[in-house]
Amino acid sequence: MAVCVAIIGKDNSPKFFACLNPDEELSFQYKVLSSLDVVEEKLSAGNKAGSDLRELYLGMLYSLETHKIYGYVTNTKIKFIIIVDSTNMVLRDNEIRSMFRKIHSEYADIVSNPFYTPGEQICSKPFLNNIRNIMTGTV
Amino acid sequence: MRSSVSYILSSTTSEPTMSHPDYEQYSHDHAALLVLVKHVGSQLKPKVYGKFFEQISKINNCKITDSTGLLRNIIVRYVREHPVENNDWGDFQTHRRLLGLISLGKYDSQQELSEICRVHESLKVKYNTTLFDSRCIFFGPPKEMTTPVSDDSSSCSENEVKKVDCVEIEKFTTPANFKTRALFYDEVGPCSDLETQVNEFVNSLFWVLESKRLERSREKLERVSLLLAPFEKKDFVGLDMESRNNKKRCTGRMTKHLGDLCLQAGLLNESLAYYTAAAETLKTINDWLWLGAAYEGLSTASALALYPEMPRNMPLHRNASLQEGSPRKSSVSVNAPLLSSPTKKIITNSLLPEDISKRYREAIIHYSKYQNAGIVETEASFKAARIAVEQNHALQAASFLQNVVYINLTLSEQEKIQRFETLAELYSQIGFNRKAAFCQRLAATRYVSPQNTSPNWGKCYSLMLQSLPGHCLTLDPVEMKETDQGWPALQIQLLQELVVAARRTGNSALATRHMTFLLQTMWGHLTPTEQKELSIQLQSLSAQCEGSPVLLVLDSGIVVPPANLTDIPMCTAFIVRDLQPHLRPKAIPTLVEDPGPFLFTPRHFGGGNSLDRRQQRAKTKVDFLWVENEVCEIQVKLVNPLPFELKVSNMRLLTSGVVFESVPETVVLPPDVSTTLTLSGWAREGGELELSGYSTHTLGVKSNCKLKHMASTNFPNFYKVDVVPALPQLKVTTSFPPSASFSNFHDDNIVTSAGVTLFHGESTQCTVTLTNIGQVDVEMLEAEIHSVLEPSLQDQIFSWDDSEVQSQLPIKPGTSATLTLRLHSAANFLAPNVTASPSTLPHDLSSGVYSSMSASVTGGSLPSRFNSSFRSTNSAMSSLVGLPTVIQQHTSSAIEGQLRLRYSGGPGFKSDYCRMCSVFIMIEMIPSLHVTNWDVLPAEISSQFYLVLDIANLTSQEMELRYTPTKTMLIEGQESCRVPVPVDRCPLSKLSKYYEDTEDDNGSTNVDMTRICSEHISELVDLQWLLLATDSKGTSSLKGITLTSRMMDIVRMSPLMWEVQVNGSAIRPQEDINCDAGDCLELKMNLTNSLDKALKQLNVSVQFYQDYENGNLNYRLDTRLATTGSVKKTINCLQSKEIASHECNVIFFTPGQYKVDIQCCAPDNFSTMCASTLSTGHVWRFTPPINISVK
Repeated sequence: MAVCVAIIGKDNSPKFFACLNPDEELSFQYKVLSSLDVVEEKLSAGNKAGSDLRELYLGMLYSLETHKIYGYVTNTKIKFIIIVDSTNMVLRDNEIRSMFRKIHSEYADIVSNPFYTPGEQICSKPFLNNIRNIMTGTV
Repeated sequence: MRSSVSYILSSTTSEPTMSHPDYEQYSHDHAALLVLVKHVGSQLKPKVYGKFFEQISKINNCKITDSTGLLRNIIVRYVREHPVENNDWGDFQTHRRLLGLISLGKYDSQQELSEICRVHESLKVKYNTTLFDSRCIFFGPPKEMTTPVSDDSSSCSENEVKKVDCVEIEKFTTPANFKTRALFYDEVGPCSDLETQVNEFVNSLFWVLESKRLERSREKLERVSLLLAPFEKKDFVGLDMESRNNKKRCTGRMTKHLGDLCLQAGLLNESLAYYTAAAETLKTINDWLWLGAAYEGLSTASALALYPEMPRNMPLHRNASLQEGSPRKSSVSVNAPLLSSPTKKIITNSLLPEDISKRYREAIIHYSKYQNAGIVETEASFKAARIAVEQNHALQAASFLQNVVYINLTLSEQEKIQRFETLAELYSQIGFNRKAAFCQRLAATRYVSPQNTSPNWGKCYSLMLQSLPGHCLTLDPVEMKETDQGWPALQIQLLQELVVAARRTGNSALATRHMTFLLQTMWGHLTPTEQKELSIQLQSLSAQCEGSPVLLVLDSGIVVPPANLTDIPMCTAFIVRDLQPHLRPKAIPTLVEDPGPFLFTPRHFGGGNSLDRRQQRAKTKVDFLWVENEVCEIQVKLVNPLPFELKVSNMRLLTSGVVFESVPETVVLPPDVSTTLTLSGWAREGGELELSGYSTHTLGVKSNCKLKHMASTNFPNFYKVDVVPALPQLKVTTSFPPSASFSNFHDDNIVTSAGVTLFHGESTQCTVTLTNIGQVDVEMLEAEIHSVLEPSLQDQIFSWDDSEVQSQLPIKPGTSATLTLRLHSAANFLAPNVTASPSTLPHDLSSGVYSSMSASVTGGSLPSRFNSSFRSTNSAMSSLVGLPTVIQQHTSSAIEGQLRLRYSGGPGFKSDYCRMCSVFIMIEMIPSLHVTNWDVLPAEISSQFYLVLDIANLTSQEMELRYTPTKTMLIEGQESCRVPVPVDRCPLSKLSKYYEDTEDDNGSTNVDMTRICSEHISELVDLQWLLLATDSKGTSSLKGITLTSRMMDIVRMSPLMWEVQVNGSAIRPQEDINCDAGDCLELKMNLTNSLDKALKQLNVSVQFYQDYENGNLNYRLDTRLATTGSVKKTINCLQSKEIASHECNVIFFTPGQYKVDIQCCAPDNFSTMCASTLSTGHVWRFTPPINISVK
C-alpha cells in the first residue's frame, strides 16, 4: 500500500498529487520535490551511458526513516513517484513496478481525454479514484 | 546503510562523547596536523584576526626533508576553535589531536601583554595532553621607534630573539614565566617573515610527531597497551586482558594507530600498509569500531593518493555559514584532471576509486553500531560524501548525505543548523538543488525553532532567501510569470515563511514586498480562503510599512525587485475612449499634392519598415486622436476577486511619451462584481502618448499594473494614442426649443437641436449662438447645411449670411458669436393634376418635394368658345370636387437639416485639425394655402392678363390673402375661393430668342418658353397671407406653374401689334362704340409684326357676335347685320416690322349690343406644340373685343 502518488510534468512542476492522509500532504510534497533531484541525476546518468531507454522504472530513489520513495519516468519525461511506508515489507520491487505500470496506463488514459490539456493539473475525479485504488491495492 | 544492529554494541550510559562535530572535515584532514589559531584578548579586531588566520592558513602544505633524506609532504590544518573533548578521540584517530597552538593577541600596555601571555599559557595547559608546540603572536601598539630594549624573549627557549628584522623591539616584555616563543608584529605591516615562522613551527611539530611515530613503531606489537576510544573504557573492565583476542585487539588497534601517525607524517605508503594490516587483524576479532576506523583510514589514505589536490573550500568560509556565491563546484570540470591523476603513481595497497566509497560505506556501517560514535559517523559520512563529490558520483554522495540525517545525536541547535547548512552546501555541489533548498529551509527554521534559545531571524531570513532558487522561485515577479513552473504548494509555504521571517527581522517593507509577491505570482494556486487570508495579512503588514514599487536592496546586496498587485483587482477590459463625437479633431482636408499618375502605391511614404509598422499599428495604435489639455478617458473594467469589499485608491494611468496629467481615482469594489471605472487625465502637449497600464493603491500596497504583466486576457503591451495640439471648443445653442425627435437623419456630431413649425410659405429666423468654452481662440469657422434635399430647395429653406459669421472671428475664449439662420418653409402651392398634365411637363419642376403637378386645363381652349367667363362650369366643379384629395396630399411634412459647423484655432489649427459639430434642425411644415386650379384670362388691357386662381385655405384659421398690393380677401378655414390676379404679360424681350430659331428643336424651345413664362408669373404674383389667429404670415409663390399652349398665348405678349380704327378713330380699351342702326361702320385694322422674323400664312378674321351675358354667344347674326368687304383675309407673309392692313364695313340692321372679335390665326408654323392635341395653331386676338351699341 502506497501512501502517496505524485505525477510530475516534464517542467518538474506537479500535475497530480494524492496521498492517503491529507494532513501530511505538505511533508510528502517536500519529499517528492527532493526526490526529483535523484530522478534527474539518474536520468542524466542514464543518458550519458546511453542505457536502455525502455526501462522506465528507476527503482528506489531514496529511503527515509519512515518512507521509501520510488520513481518512474516515461519517455516523455513525465515522472511518477510513489511513496511507501518503510515498515511495509509486503510491497516488493515487483509490486511497485506493477503499480507504476498501472499508473502509467491511467495517465495514458487521461492524456487521451480530449478535454484534458497536457501540461495542466489533473483534476479529474475518476482519475483520482483510480489512483487511490491503485495506492490501496484494491485494483 | 545503517547497521541493523545499531546501538547494540553501545552502552546506554552517556559517556563523554565527542559532542562537537566538525562538519567541515575532509578525508584529507586525516593526514593533517591540527593547529589551533586562537584569538586571544579583546583588543584584536576580528577582521585583523581573520586576515592573519587566512595568511597563516595558506601555509597548509609543507615539504620537509626527513632524516633519511626523503621529502615528506606535511599537511597542516588550522582551526579557530577546538573543543578539548575532541582530543579524547585522539587515540582513535590521531588527526583529532590538537598538535599546535598559535595565539594571536593585541596589547597596548604591559598589563594587556601579560594577560595575553596568561591566556596563552592556560590554553597550553588545556590542550596539554596533545600539544606539541605553540607560538604566540603579539600585535603591539603603534611603534614609537624606541631604541631596542633588550628583549626579554630570551626567556623563550632558544636563540630566536633576533629572529625578525622587521619587528621593532618591544619596550614591553613578556612575563618571565612565559615559556612560549613570542612573535611581535605590526598589525598593518607586511609581516613578511610570518610564513617562515609558521613553516618553522610546522617543522617543529613534524619532528615531534616523527619522533612519536618512530617511538610507537619501535614498540613491540605484542606488548602494546590497548588503545581505547573514550566511551570504551568501561567495556573492558574485568575482561581478560591477556586473552588471545585481546592481544589481537591491541595489535590491531596499534597497527591502525601507526597508520594514522604515518599518514600524518606524510608516509602514505606505510600508512596504507598499516591500515590494511589493521583491517585484517580487527576483522577477525569483530572489533567493529576500530575496523571501521581502519577502513576509513584506508579510504582516506587512498583518496589522498588518488586525489592529492582535492580542493577545500576557501578557508575563509570554513566556519562561516554558507554564503551566497560560495563556489559551487562544478564537479565535472574540476574532476577531469584529477581522475586522470591516479594513473601516474600507483601506490601499493591503495584502493581503487570505486572501492573507496565501498570501504567508507562499510566503515560508516561499523560506526553506526555504536551510539557513542555518532559524531564520528556523521563526520565520516560528510567525508565520504566529499570524496563522492570529487568522484562525481552524485547518487553515492546523496546516499552518504542522506545517512547523516538518520544519525541521532544530541547536538546543540547551532550544530544542527550547521549540519543542515553543510548538507545544503554539499547537495548543491552535486546539483541536488531541491534537496539543498530543503536543507536550507530546515536550517532556517532551526534558527527560529522554539528550542533555540537565541532565535536569529536575520539568519533565518537569509537562508530562506537562499533556498528560493531550489524551489524554482525568483524574486522577480515578471520572471516568475514567464517561467510559471515549480511546486506551487511548497512555494506558497516557503513564501509565507519568508514573509514571517522578514517581518520578524523587523523589515516590514520586505515583508510587505514578499507578501505582495506571493499574492501576485501564486494567486492562481491559492484557494479562495487562502486568497482572502493572505490579502488580509497583506493589509495588516502594509499598515506597518506601505508597499511601493521600488527596488529594495538588502544589506547583503541582494536586490528585491518590485512586486505589483497586477491582478487585484483584476482588469478585464482596458478600453481607450475616443472623445465625444463633436469634440473629435478632424483633419482639415488640404488639397492633395499631385500624387502622380498612380492612385495606389504599395510604398508607404515617410520611411520606416512599412510591414512592421502596420503590424504594430494593428495591435497597439488606436485609430482616433486625443487633444491636448482636454480630458482623455480610458474605461477600465475591474473585478474584485476577493470576498470582501476592496478599496482601490489613487488609481492613475501609467503613461510615457508626452506629458500626461492623470486624475487619481478611488473606487470601492464589491466582491465578484465587475465594475467599470473611467480613468481620465490631460495630455499636456501634442505628440504620441503611450498608455501602458495604471497604478493602484490597494491593500496598502502601491502597484504599477502594466498591461503586459496582467494575467488576464490578451492586452497589448501598451496603447498608443496621438495627441493633437490644443483646439478650441464651442458650445452651440439656438433660439429655438429643441426638436422632439431625431429621426432617420442622424449624425454623431449633433450637439443641439432646434425644432420649429412653419406654415408653407412662412419664414423665420433662428439665432445660433456659438460660445467658446475652450482655452483657444476660434480662428476658423465654416458653416454648411446638410440635408437630403436637393441643393436648390435646400438653399431656399436654409439661408444665412456667411460674412456675418466671418466678421465675428476670432472668438475669444469665453465670448460668443451668433449666426442668424433664416428658415423658410418652401413648398409647392400648386395642386397637382395628373390627368391633364401635358406629356412634356418639365421634369425639373416636378421633382423634389414638389410632387407632380400640372395645370388643370379642363375645357381647353376650343376656338369656338369665346365667352367672357372663360372657365366652364364643369371645370370649376371638378376643381372643387378635387379639393379634399388635395388636402390629403398636402398634409404636414418634416424637413430635417443639419447646420454643420467646422471650427478650429490655435496650435491645432496650425497642424491642420479642426472640430465639427452640428445643429439638428427640424422644420415641420404645415400647409397654408393651396392653389387648386388656375387659368388665365385676357385682361381689359392688352398688356395684362388675369391669372385666375382657385385658392384653398388649408388651415383651420381665417386667412387674409393679399393677392395684389391693394387687394385682400378673407378666406375661412378649410374654404376656398377664386381670385383674379392681374399680371403683366410676358414681354417678348424675354422670349425673343425662342422665336428666332424656330425651325429646329421645337420641343425643347417650347419647354423653355413655358418655363420662362412660368417663372415670369411666379415672379410677378405674390400671394401674401396672414393667419389672423396665430398672426403668422407668409408668401406663397406660384413657382412651377404650368401653362398650356393656349394659356401661353395669353400670357405672352402678342407678336402682332393691333391697331384698329372704327370710322377713322382708334379704339380705346373699354370703350363702347355707339352708332345707330343702319349706320355703316368702317373697321380698319393694321397688323404690325413686332417679331424679328417673318410670320407666314396669317389668317385675319373679323367676327361679330352677341353676348347674352349668360354664357351663350350668338354668332348667327345674318339677319341683323351685313358686312361689306371680306371679313377674312389671308396674309401670306408678314415681314418683320411690316404692317398689313385690312378694311371692311358693317351695317347693323337692328339695335342691340354687338361685339366684334378680331383675331389672327397662324397655322402652327413655329410651334408644333399643340398640333397633336389642338387643331389650331396660335390665335392672337385683339383684346378686348370691341363693343358696339346699336340704337
